[in-house]
Amino acid sequence: MRTVNLESQKNGTMSKAKEKSAKKRVVEEDDDQLPIFDKDVTEKKAGEEDDADLSDSEESVFSGLEDSGSDSHDEEEDAEEGDDEDDDDAVILDEILTKSSGVETATEPPATDKNTPTVNMGVLFLLQKQYSRVQNVKTAPKQKRKMKKGEGVAMDDGGEKGLINTRHGDEYEHDTSDEEDIRNTVGNIPMEWYQDYPHIGYNLDGKKIFKPIRNKDELDEFLDKMENPDYWRTVHDKTTASDIRLSDEQVDLVHRLQKGQFGDVNFNEYEPSVDFFTNEVMIHPVTNRPQDKRSFIPSLIEKEKVSKLVHAIKMGWIKPRKPKETTPQYYDLWAKEDPNAILGRHKMHVPAPKMRLPGHEESYNPPPEYLLTEEERMAWEQQDAEDRKLPFLPQKHSCLRAVPAFSRFIHERFERCLDLYLCPRQRKMRVNVNPEDLIPKLPKPKDLQPFPTTMSLVYIGHSSLVRSISASPTGQWLVSGSDDCTVRFWEVNTGRCMKTLEVGGAVKSVAWNPNPAVCLVAVCFESTVLLLNPGLGDRLVVSSTDQLITSYEPPEEDKEQAVTWALSEGPEHDNGHRLTLTHPKAVKQVVWHGKGDYLASVMPDNSSNLQVLIHQVSKRRTQNPFRKNKGLVQCVSFHPLRPYFFVATQRYVRVYNLIKQELTKKLMTNCKWISSMAIHPGGDNLICGSYDCRLAWFDLDLSTKPYKMLRHHKKALRGVAYHKHYPLFASGADDGSVIICHGMVYNDLLQNPLIVPVKVLKGHQITHDLGVLDVTFHPTQPWVFSSGADATIRLFT
Amino acid sequence: MSQLQTRFFTDNKKYSVDDVPFSIPAASEVQELSNVINKLLEAKNGSHSQIEFDFLVRGQFLRTSLSNHMEAEGISTEDVVEIEYVERFTAPQPEECMMHDDWISSVEADSEWILTGSYDKTARIWSLEGKAVMTVAGHTDVVKDVAWVRRDGLTSLLLTASLDQTILLWEWNSERNKLKARHCCRGHAGSVDTIATDPTRTKFCSGSWDKMLKIWSAVATEEEEEVVVEEPPSRPRKKQKTEQLGLTRTPLMTLSGHNEAVSSVLWLDSEEICSASWDHTIRLWDAETGSVKTTLTGSKVFNHISYSPLCRRLASGSTDRHVRLWDPRSKDGSLVLLSLTSHSGWVTAVKWAPSHEHQLVSGSLDNLVKLWDTRSCKTPLYDVSAHEDKVLCVDWTDSRLMLSGGADNKLYTYRYTACETDAGA
Repeated sequence: MRTVNLESQKNGTMSKAKEKSAKKRVVEEDDDQLPIFDKDVTEKKAGEEDDADLSDSEESVFSGLEDSGSDSHDEEEDAEEGDDEDDDDAVILDEILTKSSGVETATEPPATDKNTPTVNMGVLFLLQKQYSRVQNVKTAPKQKRKMKKGEGVAMDDGGEKGLINTRHGDEYEHDTSDEEDIRNTVGNIPMEWYQDYPHIGYNLDGKKIFKPIRNKDELDEFLDKMENPDYWRTVHDKTTASDIRLSDEQVDLVHRLQKGQFGDVNFNEYEPSVDFFTNEVMIHPVTNRPQDKRSFIPSLIEKEKVSKLVHAIKMGWIKPRKPKETTPQYYDLWAKEDPNAILGRHKMHVPAPKMRLPGHEESYNPPPEYLLTEEERMAWEQQDAEDRKLPFLPQKHSCLRAVPAFSRFIHERFERCLDLYLCPRQRKMRVNVNPEDLIPKLPKPKDLQPFPTTMSLVYIGHSSLVRSISASPTGQWLVSGSDDCTVRFWEVNTGRCMKTLEVGGAVKSVAWNPNPAVCLVAVCFESTVLLLNPGLGDRLVVSSTDQLITSYEPPEEDKEQAVTWALSEGPEHDNGHRLTLTHPKAVKQVVWHGKGDYLASVMPDNSSNLQVLIHQVSKRRTQNPFRKNKGLVQCVSFHPLRPYFFVATQRYVRVYNLIKQELTKKLMTNCKWISSMAIHPGGDNLICGSYDCRLAWFDLDLSTKPYKMLRHHKKALRGVAYHKHYPLFASGADDGSVIICHGMVYNDLLQNPLIVPVKVLKGHQITHDLGVLDVTFHPTQPWVFSSGADATIRLFT
Repeated sequence: MSQLQTRFFTDNKKYSVDDVPFSIPAASEVQELSNVINKLLEAKNGSHSQIEFDFLVRGQFLRTSLSNHMEAEGISTEDVVEIEYVERFTAPQPEECMMHDDWISSVEADSEWILTGSYDKTARIWSLEGKAVMTVAGHTDVVKDVAWVRRDGLTSLLLTASLDQTILLWEWNSERNKLKARHCCRGHAGSVDTIATDPTRTKFCSGSWDKMLKIWSAVATEEEEEVVVEEPPSRPRKKQKTEQLGLTRTPLMTLSGHNEAVSSVLWLDSEEICSASWDHTIRLWDAETGSVKTTLTGSKVFNHISYSPLCRRLASGSTDRHVRLWDPRSKDGSLVLLSLTSHSGWVTAVKWAPSHEHQLVSGSLDNLVKLWDTRSCKTPLYDVSAHEDKVLCVDWTDSRLMLSGGADNKLYTYRYTACETDAGA
């Protein structure tokens, strides 16, 4: 193949486009892959000699034809007639041909079809569809010329008939589509469908056309671009995955086509036109046929129509000369706009600000009082430009002629423009809302009486901060535990300290047994919980309590318990000590169950599950209710009515059912660190005080999120408490104040609790940044006790 | 300066002036008016010595300028103003200060002796001159209230009520200065906070923290009554102790009805008992049947009540700052006639003057004892600020002594002068 090509190149037959393209393709394709080309090329090889011979004489042949075009006219017309039923392209082509060349005979399109593959091969199928039309136009002449060439020979041989016959025979041999590249028979499909295959299609014999072994990558492409001088004229053929170098002629052709010229250099598009029909008007009719009668008789149908119209006009259904409405049609663009709307356009109009009219000081000859004195002038110069009352200095001129040009003119105009430009052309709608209307309707504190309002009594005696207080169930006594290692018992209504008991450590928590039939006070200090009988109140109760404690009979088998129970004897017994519970760790809080038999103690420890212990006093039994450590326990509490147990860790309050031994609820407090907790006597509500100054009220029926967050305190809350009977709750904080809130809980489940802060009680002095450490309510009266870091307990009534 | 037409009058013949209208500057105050009267009296009677007068306009003491007072009271300045003048009640003079060992919880004086109860578990008998005569020791806990029962010559019967839930009836012979516990009244289940002897001096009533009122016989007898309240058998030691302190006595009657502790009790007459309680009520009881006759409802805890047979009013001190006057006869429940407001703490004790229908004395937790005239409800007549701590009890004697005891362990006596006219009233 290659040798053949070389031969042909040597032969100098490069002038023919079709041959070149064929050759080029042949150069680039492998023999096996493209057998189709073999055939073509062999054909060409076969006719090469002729071509080569002809090539020299081609021009002359054409010119000869042109010159002697007239003789082929008839035959051309015949061909046209015969090929009329051929495709439109062909017809147009023929017309163009006839028009443009006149001489040139549009030979048989089928014949061209036969040759198209060879002709088009190379360039034409690469120039995509947009050129298809032009292609036809362009290729056709060539082919025809070529055909002429061939036919010429044929004519010489067998005359016109034979030519036509061969033409017809050729017509159905091949597919008519001249644009198709039939080397690859997959058709006009996206070639990426074959991306994943080693081949890219099938040749005419049905054999696979394989992709080139090595695809060009970007680097190759780039190197090509840099090094190959013909890179710019190389195009990639997708269907055969080969690169084709365009010949000079092809490049020329492309250029011409880009310029919108005809593909053929020699084609003259401005040939003189030949009139086929005369343009002269004949005076005599073509036929002599007499006119029809009906052309003289008036039409009945028209008459009928006219009479109908006349009738309609008479009846007034149609008004023939009705004057046209000349008034233009307008409509109110803003008809739908509410004239009373506050935001109506006309009302929103804000006129541009007006320039201030010049006053006396602007005059060229102002009255003397407008002229600044020397001091004023100094002051004016000292002032900032914005602060100046006048932007200029009034000046006196003897006459108008002496007035100089206004130096600030540009500046002033600029400011004016700014005024106009920056003037807010919008009226700000101001909603006149009384701020008090936005406050939710709450009852007045006055209507929510009684609640504590004034400090009445101060219980003085402790020498260090009082950590915890608790009132006796009758309300006659108050117990307080302090850091001065004493527990004091106070008479509520006089503030008299009835008893002082020394214990072995700073008292963290005290709790009076809520059962009125038992007179016991739980006190915790260090790792000890002490049960005291203060001996106050009813003597019978006091003695029965003692009896209750002494009547304990140890069970047969001694179980290992977390704490050791010890009965106090001797002088300690006389002091009121009854039972000592020694815990393994420091105890922070003690709290009684409402029935007064169970007692819970808290030993905060983040690393162990032994944080909460529940003791039963009558049986001297201790159990650890929790197997797992859920975080540092802050405080615990018993439900006042049901067997629930509340455990407050740093952020959550968990509600456990003690009978079912399961977690019932987990309340999210949204607080950083819970300090205290109190359960409403009804049991359905809970308040949590936290060190981040918040008090969270939970409605257990409502949600596990706080029903209300109160942030009234300025500093960390230390103690919260509910009143047993009155709808009150109190919170004490480090800011030294106790805030009393009205917290009404309704029996009606549909009504949410009403929470109204009613009073801030102040009295405690802030000592070491600590204010109120504990608050508790009097069990029967609307009184609140608060203990503080100033070593006092205060009663507010 | 505007002038007012006034006419002065007085009940005291000694100081009467002519019944003619005077024109007085409207801005004049008590001192100027007093000067006017003195001038008039001097003009009438050359030997007249300067006397301080107080003035009443329509039954209210004049405390500000005349015009302000009339404006406040809504009296027309067009008419002739009738002004009554009385001799000024002179300030009570501190007389004695009796030191105790502990807080004084209660005081009661009769014509010769003063009885005080103290937090040191004893009661004491003092002479009016401030001499400690006798210490009544026997209670095991704080003595909360004391009362005289009767005096037959040199022998007196007295009562002490204590936090140890008992009331002891003592017989004291003042000549031999011998004391004997006659009866131990047991039955209360809480501290006995108040006792009151009836006008016939044969019974007394006690009120306790256990919400009960009990009526006991105050007659000392020799035979022991049967013990109603069964003592637990396991307390022989206690039993012995009580046996030392006289015979056990049980209540004649128990009045129950209060919902909270009873803080104060008194007899209106021999048939009627009045009690004040922490449940915000004052109840009137029929002493015969033991039923509640009337309930007066207040809004605060009552600490103490007092009744004056002269004006038939009940005065109450409660845990707010007010002394309130009630009419116990009114049937329509709570009706406060007057509030005397000047204290700044709880009013712990009130007592009507025995010989003056308008005067009462009150003690408060604000360390003050105030002497009131009901005709001047905004400002007391005198503030007595002798105490250094809470005042817990006050009393009067017929012999022109005022007494007050408090948490500073001191019992003060003050001498006051009673107007002769008032004494006769």
